[in-house]
Amino acid sequence: MAFNPLEQRGIPVEEQFRSWSELSVEPLDKLGDPYTRCRVILMNGIEVESILFAHQFARATDDLDIRRALALGRRIDQQQRAVVNNLNPGDQSPLETTIGYEQVAVDLTAWLARNEPDPALKQALDFALLEDFDHLYRYANLYELIDGRDAAELTDSLTEIMPGRPTVVEHRHPYDDVRPHYDTHTVDPLSRLHVMTIVAAEQQTMNYYLNHSAELVEPVARDLYVEISHIEEQHVTHYESLIDPLDSWFEQLVFHKYDEVHLYWSMLQQEADPRLKRIWELHLEMEIGQLHVACDLLRRYQGVEPEEILPPELPEVPLTFETNKEYVRSVLAEQVDLRADGTGYRPLDELPDDHRYFAFQGIVNEGGTPSEAVVDENRVVDGRDFRDEVEGPHPVAGLRA
Amino acid sequence: MTILVPTKATGATAKTAEMTYVEPAQQVTDDELAAALPDAGLDMAFVADFLSAALTHERCGRHLYRSVAARTNNPVLKRRYEELGQETERHAEILEDLIAGMGGNPSYVSPAARGVEGADTKLVESTSLLGGSLDVTTREMVMLQAVFLAESLDHAHWQTIAELADHLPDGDLKDRWARAVGEVGPEEDEHLEWARETMGKMVMLQAASGTMAAVGAKAEELVETVRGWFS
Repeated sequence: MAFNPLEQRGIPVEEQFRSWSELSVEPLDKLGDPYTRCRVILMNGIEVESILFAHQFARATDDLDIRRALALGRRIDQQQRAVVNNLNPGDQSPLETTIGYEQVAVDLTAWLARNEPDPALKQALDFALLEDFDHLYRYANLYELIDGRDAAELTDSLTEIMPGRPTVVEHRHPYDDVRPHYDTHTVDPLSRLHVMTIVAAEQQTMNYYLNHSAELVEPVARDLYVEISHIEEQHVTHYESLIDPLDSWFEQLVFHKYDEVHLYWSMLQQEADPRLKRIWELHLEMEIGQLHVACDLLRRYQGVEPEEILPPELPEVPLTFETNKEYVRSVLAEQVDLRADGTGYRPLDELPDDHRYFAFQGIVNEGGTPSEAVVDENRVVDGRDFRDEVEGPHPVAGLRA
Repeated sequence: MTILVPTKATGATAKTAEMTYVEPAQQVTDDELAAALPDAGLDMAFVADFLSAALTHERCGRHLYRSVAARTNNPVLKRRYEELGQETERHAEILEDLIAGMGGNPSYVSPAARGVEGADTKLVESTSLLGGSLDVTTREMVMLQAVFLAESLDHAHWQTIAELADHLPDGDLKDRWARAVGEVGPEEDEHLEWARETMGKMVMLQAASGTMAAVGAKAEELVETVRGWFS
């Protein structure tokens, strides 16, 4: 059924503050539904992006009313973020959470790519998908190496674990991370939501890895987090460059709030846990209230009616966490050797020998690469690398065990 | 409410550029743009780009008027902003009809239009984002300045449209352009002159008033003063 948030009242922002006791939530079972963990991780990243954007906006204005509106929205977002992030259980180690982050990266990116109407944006998603897919494999090997545990217990084999585009070859010159952006007038509303969502997810991942690398003890673990955090920075650059900078501050605020509505609505549609359902539903109602505030700001300060820039309804299909094994395998088979070249992509064997990619590879990989070392060390200890290939042999012959 | 922003749903099209990607179904090329328009002995792809920029400016102008009409504390200005906004919306409709009548797409957003929209967005933002460092009377001036700047470009656009009309082959199309220029041109003259004159009056009102210049004047008093301007 068509759902137009602009026709919903939601909860007025003045009624959205919650007490500390209301913010104190019972964490999830870390061995529960992996996709509930994915939803929690994603929505935490979405709230972080919303807060950071509102901070950036606030620094571009000294208007008291606008700053107060942004401050109010940010504080509510902070409360929402606290609830969502604290659903992660305390007995879930940073490495276990990391495996959840990579499961998000794989199944979110793959789902977005499968549902993306614009071929160039689909290509951007496919490209980074194979890199995040490889990160899951590297972290799963680290998990087995230092904790002696099976990452498939966390992923429930809904996401396969095997090499993607090897992390060691993902490092490229920063110039090759910048892509052309979509045009804000012609872009499909669904594409805009997809890009905003993946930017937020990758940004959270980048920050999480570098924030937690210093808490780890084993050098191989610390080094792996540092290395992969740099790929996540590449991914943030890659995805954020897809956004048209023509949108005004007020339009960007509306789009942020609209995406939050879209995502809480999506999480609500697929959540089986009734307790989580109530949280998603509450946050959906709150975000609708916040969307109305953003729309009022757009009307007042830019003279634009929200209906002029928003679609008449949310996408028919909610963003869904589900298994994407077949899709990931097909992209692997076709694109594992693709590299970024300027604002586009090219097969590795078509890059000229003097391409900056090779020079950059030489700089960062000189002296060894943690993502290779972790697998090598695990092979020494366990006699093989860790994989969870449930659909048969690896689709790329050169990456088979 | 009039929808003024071109979107995929309204049939928006655009050209790709070094850093702008456009979904294939929404892409247009210079050749396609030129082929859609009648041959007037001009670079018709360039003409299409220019008309798109002029139309975008009218649309942004309508947004500007909506915004300043909602925020001014002066009832005379509010009324005038509303009137000018309605006329600006009518000018946008006239341009849409002209473009469509030539075989073009009023929802085409040219690179030149993006440039205009970027400037217009910053123009309207300038009337609010720095509001905290402006007193009530200065905010009124900043809003009026934005109107003046917007009307200046608008005026120049319509003068150019009139020159382009001279190049069209004789016939129905040229007549339609002439009628449009005949209707809009005088109103654009009036809009620009009103903005210029009113800016001057506003300056003189403040320069001549001790209350306006008083440091520390209360906001409520200033609002009352602004409310009384031009009455």
